[in-house]
Amino acid sequence: MDAHSRIECIFFSEFHPTLGPKITYQVPEEYISRELFDTVQVYIITKPELQNKLITVTALDKKLIGCPVCIEHKKYSRNALLFNLGLVCDSSTKTCALEPLVKKLSGYLTTLELESGFISNEESKQKLLPIMSTLLEELNTTGACTLPIDKSNTIHLKLIELRKDPMIVQEYDVPVFTQSKDHFIKSQWDLTTQQILPYIDGFRHIQKISAEADVELNLVRIAVQNLLYYEVVTLVSIFQYSNVYCATPKVQNLIDDKGIQEECLHYVTKAGQRASLRDVFQLYCGLTPGTTVRDLCSRYSQQLQRVDERKLIQFGLMKGLIRRLQKYPVKVVRDERSRPPRLYTGCHSYDEICCKTGMSYRELDERLENDPNIIICWK
Amino acid sequence: MPTMILFSIVFALKANADPSVISCMHNLSRRIAIALQHEELRCQYLTHEAKLMLAVQDEVTTMTESPDCSPQSPFRQILPKCKLARDLKEAYDSLCTTGVVRLHINNWLEVSFCLPHKIHHVGRNHIPPKALESSLKAIRPYHALLLLDSEKALLAQLPLDSSPALVRLIKTCSAVKNLQQLAQDADLALLQVFQIAAHLVYWGKAIIIYPLCENNVYMLSQHANICLYSPLAEQFAQQFPGHDLPSMLAKFSLPISLSEFRNPLDAPMHEAQLIQMVVWMLQRRLLIQLHTYVCLLVPRSEEETSLRDEDPPLAARVGSRSLSTPNALSFGSPTSSDDMILTSPSMENSSTELLPGGDSPLNKRMMETLLASLTEHERQVILSIPAAQSPEDLRMFAKLLHYFRGHHHLEEIMYNENMRRSQLKTLFDKFRSVLVVTNHEDPVISLFQSPPE
Repeated sequence: MDAHSRIECIFFSEFHPTLGPKITYQVPEEYISRELFDTVQVYIITKPELQNKLITVTALDKKLIGCPVCIEHKKYSRNALLFNLGLVCDSSTKTCALEPLVKKLSGYLTTLELESGFISNEESKQKLLPIMSTLLEELNTTGACTLPIDKSNTIHLKLIELRKDPMIVQEYDVPVFTQSKDHFIKSQWDLTTQQILPYIDGFRHIQKISAEADVELNLVRIAVQNLLYYEVVTLVSIFQYSNVYCATPKVQNLIDDKGIQEECLHYVTKAGQRASLRDVFQLYCGLTPGTTVRDLCSRYSQQLQRVDERKLIQFGLMKGLIRRLQKYPVKVVRDERSRPPRLYTGCHSYDEICCKTGMSYRELDERLENDPNIIICWK
Repeated sequence: MPTMILFSIVFALKANADPSVISCMHNLSRRIAIALQHEELRCQYLTHEAKLMLAVQDEVTTMTESPDCSPQSPFRQILPKCKLARDLKEAYDSLCTTGVVRLHINNWLEVSFCLPHKIHHVGRNHIPPKALESSLKAIRPYHALLLLDSEKALLAQLPLDSSPALVRLIKTCSAVKNLQQLAQDADLALLQVFQIAAHLVYWGKAIIIYPLCENNVYMLSQHANICLYSPLAEQFAQQFPGHDLPSMLAKFSLPISLSEFRNPLDAPMHEAQLIQMVVWMLQRRLLIQLHTYVCLLVPRSEEETSLRDEDPPLAARVGSRSLSTPNALSFGSPTSSDDMILTSPSMENSSTELLPGGDSPLNKRMMETLLASLTEHERQVILSIPAAQSPEDLRMFAKLLHYFRGHHHLEEIMYNENMRRSQLKTLFDKFRSVLVVTNHEDPVISLFQSPPE
């Protein structure tokens, strides 16, 4: 349960035929002061133009989210029933995730009223109070609530955390599971994802997965992007012994955070060996611009008897302790007659060029290293 | 008699806008409202403008009612006639483009505002205001202020009644001068310099860097745009004829110090021009600076049984020693104390207290307390290093022990302890069997070069 979306109060407000707009029930009691309600009541029990719309009002350090409902019928005094079941949070709370909940609740209450006069009947209206108490408690603790109201109606509510959009997945990206694969119940996922799952091992890149799993490239990209959204996988780059990495300031987390230390040692230590923190930290710090993984292996061969270098790199990338330095070729000198460079513009890395053209790293290197018109930037 | 007694400035934003954006817009709305309220009370400005706008609206409605006229929007007609309408339009346009709003309500009251989300971005990533604020609170007297515009351009942007301290600071500012020197040269208190610097950074007019010097090591930033056809490449070619940006950037592919550029085998390049180019690249966030950090990690002993837990590293045990920055660095709040010391902060165990005179009991006890935070095993390993036999080296090591947590870079240790780079490097080399050295950017100011992921 995201601590950000804590609901402080649930209230039920309606337009009383003689007393006007009032709060009929609120849980916890007396949360909304007289002053607060008087200030915002015009947005709680509203004019017709604002009815059936989600309205969030911030005032006096509180945020009230509600959806005013109006049901017109001759049987009601004043020919209409006006009510609003809303939530109150602290004004600094992010409330995006609560909005669909409020909308859904207003829909439920409208249905209940139309089917059985749930709200206009004084006796059944009293059931609202325990309903609201349960809602408040369950939404705040578990973020979900399933509550039967009467024989034919049940309320199902769930707080869905809004995540930011995932980045575009490229053919040369490598997906790796953030937790053990067995942690997830795979039968709940779509068929495409299930088909590519066995090929996600933290070393195969998207293009390779597509070829081996026999799934179209774009489908693989979308499926992995979906997994990325739910933080089931994260993306790292292709592993090669010729890759160059460097440490980021986050490498200090390995020293400061005991949890990451243990996780790391568990992940990277070779079976039957005991690697120390010093071993692992030295290895990460040994990754510098200009040093390939091959160089690292020869320089720190003693430490690498106890540590698996591929897993070391993988863990480092996943946790942001290290980052990959990519090579970007730029054609700086060309005569006027030749075509402008398409791939050698500084916008495309070796990884990308190799993937797109089918050349191997070594082939591309041989081609470019000796070309005097092309300079290479690393970043 | 004011007749407009109830009005509000409303901004329509997307419902899922970031809460920090929303509170910034609240701020702007309030500022404009306050200015308008003042002018309304003073000379019924709002009523006057409203009358003009309504008159034009009526005109347009009557015109469109006649059959041969197509429906027109009244807003286009209102703009030339009404200053307030133009101000509001300008506010909208500025927010959408530069993020900096400067209005003169009724040609009298100035309303100025900046939207940090629009101003502080590197490429397509924006720097959240909270991250900016915490970075600014952590700047130190050895940092420097780098203006993003030329001095002349910046001074031209200031309002007529700007503070003379600000003007003095801008005129004395330089990429090679740290904030402490700047305070001395501009004749301002250090605290004031910190505040003005934070103000300039907030408004997107400057960034914080480490002062330029020949030992600085720079590398190409991860987010630098190295594309051949980027507008930056064009600007660079105009500014420095005969040089092209990608070739220059390629030189920084591997970390390189400025002193290494003085290679006689390279193409001849004026040192001054090199500095200018580096400054140009820093202003456009193309380069990051790497610093050296040191961490104490003692090798495990061979006889350790598998049941014994790994000792928590020094970082977890040594309490945090706050090397404090004046903390009254919130935007706009007044400060009470002006008495920041202009010399480097003296540490509790500063070097002057440890006399160079050999093994006096006072020194021995000091060293023992300093080494007390180590475990028995660590102490043994350290003391068995050949360099530890020299009392001076051991003393220096013990004194600097609390820096070996990986959070203080070489230059910081040099500044705080008044030591030379060569002294420190020799020490690190002597004790290399228990230290791990790494190079990366300073997380405190790396925000200004590359935004957080």
